[in-house]
Amino acid sequence: MGLKVLLLIARRHLFHNLFRTGVSVSGVAIGVTFMVMLSALMTGFETKFVRETIESSPHVTIYDEYRGQTDEFAAWTSRQMGGVARVDSARPRETVRRIKKPLEILKALRALPEIAACAPNVTGTAIMNFGTRERGMNLVGIVPEDQEAVSSLDKYIQDARIYDLYASGGALLLGYGVAEKLGAKKGDTVSIKLRNGDSRALRVIGVFRTGITTIDYARGYTLLSVAQQLLGLGRDVNQIVVRLHDYSSARAAASKIEHLVRYRTESWQEANENFLSIFVIQQIITYLVTGGIMIVAAFGILNVLIMLVMEKLPEIAMLKSMGFTAFDITLVFLLEGLAIGVLGVLVGCVLGYYLTEFVGSLPIKQTGLVESEHLVMNNVPRLYVVAGVAALVCTVLASVLPALRAGRLDPVVTLRGHA
Amino acid sequence: MSLDAIRERGKPVLQLVNLVRVLGEGETATEVLHGLNLTVTQGEFCAIVGPSGSGKSTLMYLLGALDKPTSGQVIIDGSDVSTLDDDGLARLRNEKLGFIFQFHYLLPEFTALENVMMPMFKLGVPAAEARERAQALLDQLGIGTKSHRTPGRLSGGEQQRVAVARSLANQPLIVLGDEPTGNLDTVNSDNVFAIFETLAREQHQTIVVVTHDLDQAARTDRIIRIVDGRIVDDGPTQDVLARVEREEAERRSALKPHA
Repeated sequence: MGLKVLLLIARRHLFHNLFRTGVSVSGVAIGVTFMVMLSALMTGFETKFVRETIESSPHVTIYDEYRGQTDEFAAWTSRQMGGVARVDSARPRETVRRIKKPLEILKALRALPEIAACAPNVTGTAIMNFGTRERGMNLVGIVPEDQEAVSSLDKYIQDARIYDLYASGGALLLGYGVAEKLGAKKGDTVSIKLRNGDSRALRVIGVFRTGITTIDYARGYTLLSVAQQLLGLGRDVNQIVVRLHDYSSARAAASKIEHLVRYRTESWQEANENFLSIFVIQQIITYLVTGGIMIVAAFGILNVLIMLVMEKLPEIAMLKSMGFTAFDITLVFLLEGLAIGVLGVLVGCVLGYYLTEFVGSLPIKQTGLVESEHLVMNNVPRLYVVAGVAALVCTVLASVLPALRAGRLDPVVTLRGHA
Repeated sequence: MSLDAIRERGKPVLQLVNLVRVLGEGETATEVLHGLNLTVTQGEFCAIVGPSGSGKSTLMYLLGALDKPTSGQVIIDGSDVSTLDDDGLARLRNEKLGFIFQFHYLLPEFTALENVMMPMFKLGVPAAEARERAQALLDQLGIGTKSHRTPGRLSGGEQQRVAVARSLANQPLIVLGDEPTGNLDTVNSDNVFAIFETLAREQHQTIVVVTHDLDQAARTDRIIRIVDGRIVDDGPTQDVLARVEREEAERRSALKPHA
């Protein structure tokens, strides 16, 4: 009965002045609506970028930078002399950097439990010519079935399959942006000029479009053997790409792999550090803006409840004279704040869902880091939970002050003032 | 009937022992009540009378456990108010005391019936029983047919009768009225006092009413006169009224110019 009567009083207070209650609920609802929509917008871009990056790029890349002892003369001298030797001003040798014994490394990597797949790559910068047009690009030599297991390239290829690279010795898959800039399309033959001045004709068998500009405008794929020949690597490679079972553990996995294979590794997070740090700033801005909205709504509730307490002073005094305790009175006003918060959250979540869907349907084309025909909205339940909890915390905190004030009210002071 | 005869009717339910109340602090501190001693027994119908500023309302708040004395004791049904914590005081008010103020202070969001049920809700009386008792009280006070109206749809007299019904809801040991008819016209004032008389005479309810109206006070069994925070007279109504009349006559004669 105790809590029931307090709930009854709180409910009657709220229903007695629907306009005032409506204004308070609207304040919270607007805060939640915009918090959901802005969070969906901000995280949508990031989520799309991360999703497409981890889909179309390796989770860990092993580069051709050896981390072991490189100064062989110094090592030999140290061994012979039984001490430590250092060689100053050693002249670097002209060498092509490479990852030696790639098959052994691949075998060792495939034995690791956290690795889902790995593939050898040969990458190098090449100048592409098509007619009078010329464009630099990053040529990547791949083994199609291994590469597909690592980066899901096949689904981004238009009018072709990744395995079509086997169709002829000089097949090439071009990034959508590169093809567009060159004016080349499927079936065209383009000429590749290498750093040593040699050139070779490759036939475009398809165009891929990942939606990530840095890939689509800068990359082309050919068979590993073709790239090895073009870049003079023999049977060696200069990159090994790795896909993990859990992409979020890429940093730890990269460190472990580097320790194992002694070549420099880079996780997808490190490779995209600049973008990810921008997303962090973007998230901070989002939470500051939506937090501001929520604080304004909380002050609205604070105002309304203070006014309500002021208006109800005689009734509060009477309730106390009837035997209601300070805690009872405090609880009544806290319940009112909580009810306003809950209603506001419910209304805000519904409005937030529809506003997010609406904004996401607007034809606003994005062509920056990530390509999309619409604003990318990450309309997921987690955002509603975060917005709801934040709103409830704000409303309850906003209710505490007036509720405590109501509870502490000395009935004698009120009764004396009204007498 | 003498004061002793009145006291013999029941056990003491309300006692003041050297009661002092100081309001304000520091330089503004003012002693409003100076060492009052008083005993009210069960079934008494008392009026506390006195001029404005004499300390009547302060005394009423102390008698109602809404305030605590600066020194001395207020003992309600054997419990010293000073020794009770806030929860204890709230329980005492809920179970043993009923209040009627000059303004009815009904809860505007609730019907007359619900207003009367409210103290019972706090006490934990089941809803059905509370509803039945509240309706019976409103019937008894002649407003049973308007029990489902909110206070805003009742006249001033009806509102005050609802307040009276509310004060009786938990069958309190003592009903305290602070100028309960101060905001009513003569007819409604008479009605409310008639209700008090009935409660006191027929149901032996202890009623203590603060009033400045001697005509209304004349309907009680006992009058306690307070002047400047001191009890200057206390006795059966007719005796006190006679003394008041005599004092008034003496005052007038003192003012009359000698021939």
